[in-house]
Amino acid sequence: MTMAALQEQVAVEGLAAPASQGRGMVRLLTCGSVDDGKSTLIGRLLWDSAAVLDDQRAAIEHASQNRAVNGEKIDFSLLLDGLQAEREQGITIDIAWRYFETTDRRFIIIDSPGHEQYTRNMATGASHAEIAILLIDARHGVKRQTRRHAAICDLVGIKKVVLAVNKMDQIDWSESAFRAIEQDFRALAASFGFEEIKTIPVAALTGDNVVRRSSHMSWYGGATLLDYLETVEPEALSPDAPFRMPIQLVLRAADDFRGYAGTVTSGRIKRGDRIVDARSGQSATIERIVTMDGDLAAATKGDAVVLSLDTDIDISRGAVLSETLRRPTNADVIETRLVWLSESPFDPELGYLLRTATDLVPVTTMSVSALIDFETLESKPAHNCGVNDIADCRILLGRPASLDLFRELPPTGSFVLISAIDGATVAGGVITWAQSGAPATSDNVLVLNRELLARGVCADLGNSPEDQAEFQRRAQEVAILLRSAGVPVSIEI
Amino acid sequence: MTALVSHLKLLEDESIHIFREAAAQFRAPVLLYSIGKDSTVLLHLARKAFYPAKLPFPLLHVDTTWKFHDMIAFRDRTVKELGLDLIVHTNHEGLARNINPFDNPPSVYTDVMKTVALRQALDAGGFDAAFGGARRDEEASRAKERVFSFRAAGHRWDPRLQRPELWTLLNGRLGKGETVRVFPLSNWTEGDVWRYIALEKLDVVPLYFAKERPVVTRDGQLIVVDDERMQFEPGEKPEMRKVRFRTLGCWPLTAAVESDATTLDEIVTETLASKNSERAGRLIDHDQAGAMEMKKREGYF
Repeated sequence: MTMAALQEQVAVEGLAAPASQGRGMVRLLTCGSVDDGKSTLIGRLLWDSAAVLDDQRAAIEHASQNRAVNGEKIDFSLLLDGLQAEREQGITIDIAWRYFETTDRRFIIIDSPGHEQYTRNMATGASHAEIAILLIDARHGVKRQTRRHAAICDLVGIKKVVLAVNKMDQIDWSESAFRAIEQDFRALAASFGFEEIKTIPVAALTGDNVVRRSSHMSWYGGATLLDYLETVEPEALSPDAPFRMPIQLVLRAADDFRGYAGTVTSGRIKRGDRIVDARSGQSATIERIVTMDGDLAAATKGDAVVLSLDTDIDISRGAVLSETLRRPTNADVIETRLVWLSESPFDPELGYLLRTATDLVPVTTMSVSALIDFETLESKPAHNCGVNDIADCRILLGRPASLDLFRELPPTGSFVLISAIDGATVAGGVITWAQSGAPATSDNVLVLNRELLARGVCADLGNSPEDQAEFQRRAQEVAILLRSAGVPVSIEI
Repeated sequence: MTALVSHLKLLEDESIHIFREAAAQFRAPVLLYSIGKDSTVLLHLARKAFYPAKLPFPLLHVDTTWKFHDMIAFRDRTVKELGLDLIVHTNHEGLARNINPFDNPPSVYTDVMKTVALRQALDAGGFDAAFGGARRDEEASRAKERVFSFRAAGHRWDPRLQRPELWTLLNGRLGKGETVRVFPLSNWTEGDVWRYIALEKLDVVPLYFAKERPVVTRDGQLIVVDDERMQFEPGEKPEMRKVRFRTLGCWPLTAAVESDATTLDEIVTETLASKNSERAGRLIDHDQAGAMEMKKREGYF
């Protein structure tokens, strides 16, 4: 593209589409069970769409001869598997990021490992994607790992899935086999919140229906993979979503300048708007929206800005600025669905920290209530969870944090769980329910009230005098345990 | 505000977010400034991230003493114009042992004058986080990097033990002895870097523009003779050819390409039409299979 063309594009886009709508860039995940051919599929996509450069082609052709995996053929997976161990073992360990653009679109491809052992890496990749390409080996159909990956895609918020039924050449390009797999997958996907599922029969090794339309499957009249990826709408944005901006930093500069730096995670704000910090209840009016390129009149989702306010309010990193009406929940009890990523299983005795958009809050108590069964995709009651499990958990926070429900506002409704001991990220999850159980008090005393206890510890108790006495006894016990863990508690029943 | 092509605007916002997360979470960050186009973009984004405040961290340049003279001049001018705090570090012990790119294999030279030097500088400054301009599209092992890339004691990278990094939630809690490399340009490509430089009208080292320069050809690579320390092979004589650089490093180890591109416009066009990857001109990357991964394991950024 020449600069003239580029500037023309800038001019057009500057008027027509706000940049932050993300149409110019699509983030794709490839996932599926091991040996279903993920790296080969992406390698083929890059190879056939001319996104592979000459020196890389030469290097891959050379390396393919050395490995001779496919006889004389090119080993496309070498385009993706960049680590020594991956090349030696012929498997993908960690996600690989690849970039390519067609005339219509810029793509970021996140190729994820299929081995169960490396699910944490797959989850990392999935959380960055808008669209998932889920591969299935046509010979084997839906497997346990297919269901696990679909569940993780759903958990992290992916709404559009391409089911690529691969190795069609190995089953004589059979339409009936393809339809059966498609049906199986649609049945299991009913458990999830996907908005669009596209199924495409492909053969990655030979390139059929990847970039080039297959001549072997005349029964399939739909789009090739690349056609679909170039036209799919990545993300439906709600223009009237409530404004949120988690504060990353407070910036000070000359002339007593004080501003709040952050990225708008949803909605829109303009100069003169009234905003509030949900945690402290303090509000102020936006005086300036500052950037190095000059002040802005307004900022929308995705914009990294600095806000200066008409009055100094005492807020810092971790606070979430919002509009005055639709505020985040000032929550200290949350219910979550998470994927456990650490080799060390959940241990209620260990200290954990909850990291939200920019806040870091100590976890007071955490309990597992259910696990997803990857055979049936049903939740089953449980009390423990370990690596690669998807679990429903209830978490009590040491102090309230400003949060949203993930299904409403993903950026302020997601979190990672951090080991307080070594700082490791042990789980990633989404908030499914949040409550400001304990009203915020000036000295952060945790208030145990009736509602808080009735939801869990005392859920089995009724209104009889015996039950009420038991209610009191449990409240006292809970308070003792919390105080022994260093959490100031008051009982207000 | 400058209107940007939509995906460049997304990349810019993402990078600013990363800079701010790192500055908020780490005790003593430093920006690894290597003077090239990626560092130019990195520095520009850092200034945007903290504007109107000053950069809350210094710049660090690991000077092997073999950088192009134009690079050093550009570095000093940039630092002066923008009023930046720059630390320059050279491995003087390596210098005393006369470790240089002509008499030592590239792997030895790079290890002593770049990798070890970087470790020395980071340890001396007590830095717990270092911003680097590495991009995932550069090389196979870099395609596997996290944005917050954790390094064990001794700055070692273990690609098998990378931290999960979900959504935009960057966890900067360090374990014992750990430090972090932070890569705000992770999702940028070479084409993006040039398009951004053009749109933001950023000044870059003149070596990126084609000009008649004294060149010798070695193993098919064009080496520009930058000063009198050049060691000629028997029969070698520099000839004037119109060349430019896609990537800048130590001059005896960085190959030029023949080009007529003398403006940013022409560089953007040439880059997007290129048939070879940019690191094809980095001699140290091809020393042996998996060369970059090995360097990273040893503490190269």
